[in-house]
Parts: sequence; C-alpha cells; structure tokens
Amino acid sequence: MDTGFWILQFLNALQFSFLLFLLSVGLTVIFGLMHFVNLAHGALYAFGAYVAASVAASYGYWAGVFVAPFAVAVLGLVLYQFLIKRMRSSGPMAQVLVTFGLMFALLDLTRIIWGDLALALDVPASLSGRISIFGVEYPLYRFFVMMVGAIALIMLNLILARTQIGAMIRAGVDNDKMASCLGINVERLFFIVFCVGCALAGIAGAVAAPLLSVVPEMGLEILIPTLIVIVIGGLGSLKGAITGSLIYGFVQTFGAVFAPQFASVVIYVLLALILITKPNGLFPSRGG
Amino acid sequence: MFYQTSTRTFMLITFTLICIYVAFTADYFGLEILTEILILAMIAMALDMVAGFGGMVSLCHGALAGVGAYAYAVCTAKLGWNVPLSIVLTCCFTGVIAWIIGAVCSRTHGIYFIMATLAFGQMAYSFVFESAYLGGDNGLSGIPRLDLSAINIDLFDSRNFALVCLFALFCCYLFAWRILSSGLGRSLVGLMYSEQRSLAIGQNVSRIKAHVFGLSGLILGLAGSLGAQHIMFISPNLLMWTYSGEVLVVTILGGLGTLFGPIVGAAAFILLKHQVSEYTNYWHLAVGIILIAVVMGGAKGLYGSLEAYIEQRLRSRSSTSTNVISEEE
Repeated sequence: MDTGFWILQFLNALQFSFLLFLLSVGLTVIFGLMHFVNLAHGALYAFGAYVAASVAASYGYWAGVFVAPFAVAVLGLVLYQFLIKRMRSSGPMAQVLVTFGLMFALLDLTRIIWGDLALALDVPASLSGRISIFGVEYPLYRFFVMMVGAIALIMLNLILARTQIGAMIRAGVDNDKMASCLGINVERLFFIVFCVGCALAGIAGAVAAPLLSVVPEMGLEILIPTLIVIVIGGLGSLKGAITGSLIYGFVQTFGAVFAPQFASVVIYVLLALILITKPNGLFPSRGG
Repeated sequence: MFYQTSTRTFMLITFTLICIYVAFTADYFGLEILTEILILAMIAMALDMVAGFGGMVSLCHGALAGVGAYAYAVCTAKLGWNVPLSIVLTCCFTGVIAWIIGAVCSRTHGIYFIMATLAFGQMAYSFVFESAYLGGDNGLSGIPRLDLSAINIDLFDSRNFALVCLFALFCCYLFAWRILSSGLGRSLVGLMYSEQRSLAIGQNVSRIKAHVFGLSGLILGLAGSLGAQHIMFISPNLLMWTYSGEVLVVTILGGLGTLFGPIVGAAAFILLKHQVSEYTNYWHLAVGIILIAVVMGGAKGLYGSLEAYIEQRLRSRSSTSTNVISEEE
C-alpha cells in the first residue's frame, strides 16, 4: 500500500462525502426551518436519478442534469401543497409516519412508471477522461461530483451568510414566531426552502446516476446514511451537514480498508457514542 | 393510564374465540396466515407498550424481534441446546439488548429518539448481514420447533402451532397488562404526559424508560423465537428497518395506546396484504396511501375509534339513567 493508494482512498471518501452532503443539506435545512423530517427525501433522490436517466436517453447527459432538479422541485411543490403544509403542526410521529407512507408510495410509483429493471446513464464524453491529482490518475467524473458538492456548499454558505434571504432563513431557524412578527413571511420561506431542498436531492440523484445503477430501491439505500449524517452533524445546520458527511464518508471508506468485516458496524457505534455524549449532534442549530 | 375496561376484556375474549374457531375450520393456508397475524400482533403490542404508554416511538422493534429470531437460531441450530432453554435464553438476551438500547436512547427526545432507535436497528442488521457465522445474506436454516410430544401435541401440525402462538399472545397481553398497571407502568404514563413533572417529583426518568423498553424486549424475544420456529428459516430481511416501520404502521392502524388495538391492526394489515397482493404487485403503494389517510385523518386507528365510540355510548347511557334517577328524586 503506497501513497498513491491512500490518496485514491482519500479522494473516494471525499467524493462520497460530497454526494451525501448534497442530499443531507436539503434534509437538514428543511428540518432546521420547519422541524419537519422528510423520510421521503431518499425517494426524491431516486426520482431525480430516474428523470435524469430518461431525459438523458433522448437529449443527452447535460439536459438530464438540468431537468432533474426542476422536475423534483415540482414534485416537492405538489407534495408541499397537498401533504406537508397540513402536517406542519402535528408531532414528529405523525410526520414520520406520513413521510414513511409517502416513501412507500413513491417507491411503487417509480416502479409503475419506469419498471423494475435498472436504467443506465452514461458519463458524457467531456467528463469521461481521467485527471491527475497528486500523481494519482482519478476518473474525471468523480472529480466533477466533488466539484458539484463543493460549489453547492460554497453557494449555500454565501446565501445563508451574506444575502437578505439568508438572514431571513437564519432568523426563521432561530425563532420562527419572532421572525414572522418582524414581517417575514415565514410560510413562504418554508415553501421556498422545501423546494430548494428537493431540487438539491434531484441534483444529487442526477449526478449519482452514472456512478450507480438506477434502481427503485436506491432511495431506500441512501436514506439511512443521510439520516446518520444529519444526526451526527446536528439537525438544521450547514456546518453539521458537511461535518457529518465527511465523518460518514471517511469512516465508511477507510473502515472498508482497515476492517472490512466491521466497516458498517463502526459507523453505527460512532453514532451511538455521539448520541450518548451529545444527544443533539455535534453542531445543532440554536432553534432545534 | 392503562385500564383493562370491560370493553377490552370483551374484545379480547371475542378475539380469542374467533381465533380458536378459525384454527379449527381453516385450511393450511388460512392457518399460516393466522400464525403470521398472531406473531405480528405480539411485536406490535410490544411496540404499543413503549410508544402508546411512554411516547417512545421506536423504529427498531421489528429489528429486535429479528435479533430474537437469530438468538433462538444460534442457540438451537448452531449450539444444539434444548428448545425450552433456548426460548428462555432468547427472551432474556433480547430483553437485555432492548434494555441497553432503551437506556442509551432514553436521553434523546422526539425525532432524535426515532433516529437513534433506527440507527440501532440498522446496526443489528448490518452486523447480521456481514457476519459469516450467522450466515450473512443467506440466512440460517434447520431451526427446530418446540417438542411437545410428551403431552401428545405435534407442533409440526400448523393448527397446533397456531394455537400455541395464540396462547403465547394471550400470555403476552396479560404480561403487558401487569406491567402497565404496576407502579412502573404508571410512572411511564406519567412521564409521557410531562417529563418535567416526573423529574420534579424525583423519578429517575431514564431508568423507567429503559426498564419498560427492556420488558417489551422480553415479548419481542418470544415473538422472534416463535417467528423463527414458524418459518424454520431466517434471513437478515427480518431486521430491515422497513419491517420495523411496518410494525409501527400496524400499531397506528389498530390504535396506539390501547394495547388491544395492535392485535386488530395486525389482523387487518395481514389480511389486507394478502387481498391486495392477489390483485396487484404494488402492495407498498396501497400501504403508503392507507397510512397517509389514517394519519392525516387524525383517526385513532381501527380499534381506537371503535373503542371511543363504544365508551361514549356507554357513558351517555349511564348519564341518561342517572338523570332519570335524579328527576325521580
């Protein structure tokens, strides 16, 4: 095992972390602002991957990547209007149950629309090469996924920290009643944030599609890692989402190198330790 | 607070009689469904103990029953211990595991509790999935059933097995009733309404939660070992988190916090599943829509609504009769 091997593992871990970040950031901001946990988030990711794969089949990869987030945001809009708006005031159990039901329903809907067979989405020619990083040949597409995650992180950070709408969102997370007293339309803010979170899930699905095969269960498989990320990081904070993603990505990748037998158990043990010592995660939002 | 009202006693006796009637008239397929219902009802009842009376919405109860099934399989098929001892050990083992999970998770609340239990269930799943000793993805087979030939009962007959499961469910109900009406159970209901007040009157909230969680684990151990004996083969799919979610669905469908409701929920769920599966492959779509409808409707579940209706009728009747008496006076 030389240095090249370790750099490769490091890059793999980083790429996986950024993919998880794209998914978990939507979930965590929705939670932080609305105190609403959406178990159907994984299903939205799968929906994004399917839309990307079927659009890309006739109009090329880039069309798929651009259409997917909009399609998922529209689906999110419909769900918000018909279900989530009414569930806002109920307790966490009712919300978990409704989104659990929603997850099952969306899973079977993707089966009905696209069938049980796996779809494939090819890497576009412009991203199919390899790139040399620290003397290691690395697939360009995986590097692209990392860049998408990093750009999303920087953009979200700038929006939340520097713009007026970011300030309004932060105010809503801290104290939604006070924010609405100050004339902020918190309901509309929730709605926008929910749609943006869904769009991010759609992007994650679209960029992940060429790395994995697109199957109906992909949403179920990614949901648990995403939930672990936001519980480790603390619900509702951007810092928590990126820290949790990095912890999960690195523990999973390097765990598989050092102790393949226990790789997936290690992350759960870590989660249990964090829950015992810091029940609200590493960086909880003040409002949560 | 849990009360064994006359309505509940009446329902329990009716249910038992219906099950006995079905057991003696149904064919092989019907008996298999009956056994499936009874085992699921035990798991859902254990969940109702913690969720309906303690506010601890656990997403690992299905996985814990799976832990019970694996513990039983290891004791019998792997180590060759005798069956009654294995069942007792399985219950104790599952109870201890549940107690530990309850103790760790009792510090968290609301959505964090749900997530934490989910994580523990997944931990068990991935441990079993990756363990070569436990058969990994392939599961374990060759699990023996309880041998009751000493008292002339052949448990390989599905009718006898269904009746044993019915007896086990009845015992579990009595056990849960006993726990919930004890001091521990009353403290649990108290802290569900206000944890602050429970703390203020000097109760050890975490310990109460952990104890009841562990006790519900005993039921899960029994249910798991019966489930393993029923199919005589187990696979990691038993521990999938979606199964734990289905157990929660069953409990809600029947009526949370009624103890008898989960039994009704299990019967409705399994019968519906078999009916829907005859028409379509998309069973999950149906369960998703039903779940959303039940929760959005704010209903108390099938049995919960029925019980509320009956109690209201009884109360209005008794109040009119007292009115008549007072007018006569």
